[in-house]
Amino acid sequence: MNKNIRNFSIIAHIDHGKSTLADRILEITNSVSKHDMKEQLLDSMDIERERGITIKLNAVELKYNYKNQEYILHLIDTPGHVDFSYEVSRSLAACDGAILIVDATQGIEAQTFANLYLALNNNLTIIPVINKIDLPNANIEKVTNELIDVLGFKKEEIILCSGKTGEGVENLLNAIVERINPPKYYEDNLLRALIFDSYFDSYRGVIVSVKVASGEIKLKDKIKLMSTGAVYEVVELGVNTPKEKKLDKLASGQVGWINASIKSIDDVNVGDTITSEINPVSIPLEGYKPMKPMVYSGLFPIEPNKFENLREALEKLKLNDAALVYEPVTSIALGFGFRTGFLGLLHMEIIEERIEREFGIEIIATSPSVIYEVTKTNGEEILVHSPNELPDRAQIKCIKEPFVSSSIFVPSEYIGPIMDLCSEKRGIYKSLEYIDKTRVNIHYELPLSEIVYDFFDKLKSLSKGYASFDYELSDYKESDLVKMDILINGTVVDALSTIVHKDAAYKRGKEITENLKEIIPRQLFQVPIQASIGSKVIARENISAMKKNVLAKCYGGDITRKRKLLEKQKEGKKRMKMVGSVEIPPEAFLSVLKTNK
Amino acid sequence: MKSLYIHIPFCNHICTYCDFCKHLYSYSNVLKYLNQLEEEVKDRYNNEVLDTIYIGGGTPSVLNMEELRKLFNIISLIKLNKNYEFTFECNVNDITEELITFLYKNKVNRISIGVESFNENKLKFMERYANYEDVENKMNMIRRIGINNINLDLMYAIPGETLKDLENDLKLFLKLKPDHISTYSLILEEYTKLSNKEILPIDEELELNMYNYIRNKLKRKKYIHYEVSNFCLSGKESIHNLNYWNNLEYYGFGLGAHGYIDGIRYENTKNLDEYLKGNYVYKQEIVGIREKQENELMLGFRKIKGISLQEFFDKYQVNMQEVFPIKPLLKNKDLIYKDGYIYINPDKIYIMNEILLKMI
Repeated sequence: MNKNIRNFSIIAHIDHGKSTLADRILEITNSVSKHDMKEQLLDSMDIERERGITIKLNAVELKYNYKNQEYILHLIDTPGHVDFSYEVSRSLAACDGAILIVDATQGIEAQTFANLYLALNNNLTIIPVINKIDLPNANIEKVTNELIDVLGFKKEEIILCSGKTGEGVENLLNAIVERINPPKYYEDNLLRALIFDSYFDSYRGVIVSVKVASGEIKLKDKIKLMSTGAVYEVVELGVNTPKEKKLDKLASGQVGWINASIKSIDDVNVGDTITSEINPVSIPLEGYKPMKPMVYSGLFPIEPNKFENLREALEKLKLNDAALVYEPVTSIALGFGFRTGFLGLLHMEIIEERIEREFGIEIIATSPSVIYEVTKTNGEEILVHSPNELPDRAQIKCIKEPFVSSSIFVPSEYIGPIMDLCSEKRGIYKSLEYIDKTRVNIHYELPLSEIVYDFFDKLKSLSKGYASFDYELSDYKESDLVKMDILINGTVVDALSTIVHKDAAYKRGKEITENLKEIIPRQLFQVPIQASIGSKVIARENISAMKKNVLAKCYGGDITRKRKLLEKQKEGKKRMKMVGSVEIPPEAFLSVLKTNK
Repeated sequence: MKSLYIHIPFCNHICTYCDFCKHLYSYSNVLKYLNQLEEEVKDRYNNEVLDTIYIGGGTPSVLNMEELRKLFNIISLIKLNKNYEFTFECNVNDITEELITFLYKNKVNRISIGVESFNENKLKFMERYANYEDVENKMNMIRRIGINNINLDLMYAIPGETLKDLENDLKLFLKLKPDHISTYSLILEEYTKLSNKEILPIDEELELNMYNYIRNKLKRKKYIHYEVSNFCLSGKESIHNLNYWNNLEYYGFGLGAHGYIDGIRYENTKNLDEYLKGNYVYKQEIVGIREKQENELMLGFRKIKGISLQEFFDKYQVNMQEVFPIKPLLKNKDLIYKDGYIYINPDKIYIMNEILLKMI
């Protein structure tokens, strides 16, 4: 049964053409009719299509005829951005092989490396593919040499193709059948199914995505979720082709979905194993480590009575986003909200946007913070997730902050400016190696907080967009850090506090106060904005008082228009947050992130 | 008390800042327009006695004698109260003895002249023309013929204008001894010639200083400040405009005109072709009681004297302070109470919207 099944995913650096190649594979295997074909077919979220990126993994079942035998291929499309590497690792655990795509015009990039190593750690068979060979600036020879020299592939292994024209895609499908092993076979034939994803459907409850490793699941079977012990009866099951297709059973080797009327979100853990209640296995499949969030931000509903709705939204998002963590928190300025952990800035942006779009809750997000390790003078060690948790200066013996080891791929002419940037960002130089004559891979250890701040933007602009970047957490190092408060009209606004390196405090204080001056509208009185460390003010700006808000003329009897103008002003005021007697727009709370260019 | 506004949407030249409903004057369109206007008046006017008529634009004075005769034929359908006010808007260049004599004979008793400024830079910015001697001669002629109520429009807060420029302008305006002065601070509106250019408004603080300068100067010259941007000699308030600010009803006829009749606010189409086809009403809505009360505030507080608590009660059978948070605003001196009237603190008139937003 298993020998005609192939489970594989596609991995690549962002923008190297994964989703387009997946589109072609769907087309060539006749999984979608030309009529239904659209770009980025597997990316079902609006936000994915709009941004042209993949956020969520997606699994589909394809049929492919090879040497007169029918094969079932399970394709799992994965995200390319570094923030979502946990999604990649989840999909890889459900696979036996991976297609590594490299753009023929770009060559290997930082995440080509990172994703390849993830796949190798999972003992997957790798099929190297050079994509976009149809482009006039494709340099197949150069990229082939990179794959051979840098990644150690053999020339004959490399498949050339174009996701756009479809050229070479059949060769690729053949290679998938020939080279990737069928799924592992368990002789006991008991049910073992790995949960690699789940999502909430408001009509059906929790839907889980599974890879059946052995045995089979049928309708009305009683299944047991091994880590929680919860038992459910299967109501519906099936596969995606890519349309949802209902079946009677999922057999060993298949990748599909199960609806078991699971109403409790807490019962389902991604990475858990499903077995049979009557005839269970005792050892679960090897799952994968949950990813730990790297940055934290406070999320607060603009309307205070939406707190419970926000909790519900986060619960539902967490279902298929294991890396999302949150807990209730109170801010003097913003009221009740959640301190929420993310894998990185893009992850944070996506979650915030999904809360607003999919759940219709307007939120204020405070600027993200990394996790600090603080040793107090009494010897106690604590983790600090937000500037306001930082103990009094007198009680702090030392603060450690997370560092990442990073790799930066860049054309060699940018080495100078990039190294200047890294040292400005307190980076520690590790090594530099030439990929070929024109490109280098630079390794630095960098404070994560600098990456959260503006490192990536600066990197891109300094290298005219050519640099690619990947990082992983390395360790914690002691730093000379201080808490900087922002006072608006003389009052500390807790949601605007930040932890900054002492040497950078003056510059950051000036930037933040200047930004706030731009963002906060004029009030009826002068509003001073100050940055302070302890009681020492290090930067100050003034927002001068509003002098004019009057309808200067009111003739001709056009009352309705004047009214609309007032109503518009009223709407504008509604989204403001009152902090003391000052009205502050939501975007002000992220101003700490903005840098002056 | 009921009024009538008639819109003449034609001009010889379009000023840079103007966002009113206007078209370049063309002979063939005007007669068609006046014919349609007649239809509208006949169709909608309910034969009641009115207190004021205001003919505005556009530029009503752009009409030739034949067209004017046609227009006043239409107006002869309107019944006027004994103590009526009848204003006709004029461009300085259009003012002739023939025109004024005609207007005087046809019951017009108030002339409003769009002078705006005598400052060359300001005029250039607005794409307008005005000459002091010319205006002086024409005002003398108007008075000689018998119309003794003249308004001059003054614009300020023009980009590049200094307080000194304004002082000089105002000095000349005062020398002409107009009965009424309407001031306008430049507003950069959409759909104007200016909106296509990147023009920054002048500094708010300077604008407020200009406003205060005008207020103080005119007060010293015995002008009564009776509305946010209107000043007059004793007894020369614009009754027509006061009717708007008192939230009372009025007809609006013509292209893009607004009216408020029988509790319904309506807006005529701004599309000349549609109007000429007889599809004049663009939209109309019944004003609810709450909205009426809010309009009362929005309009009434424009008057420096403010709103009479007794009149509010007579109109709505409820005390103003019961439906609006008046007390806290009296306490923080946004509003002031005196002799049965509530009015905006004169120091806060220029931020009056902020005060209104606390109430509505």
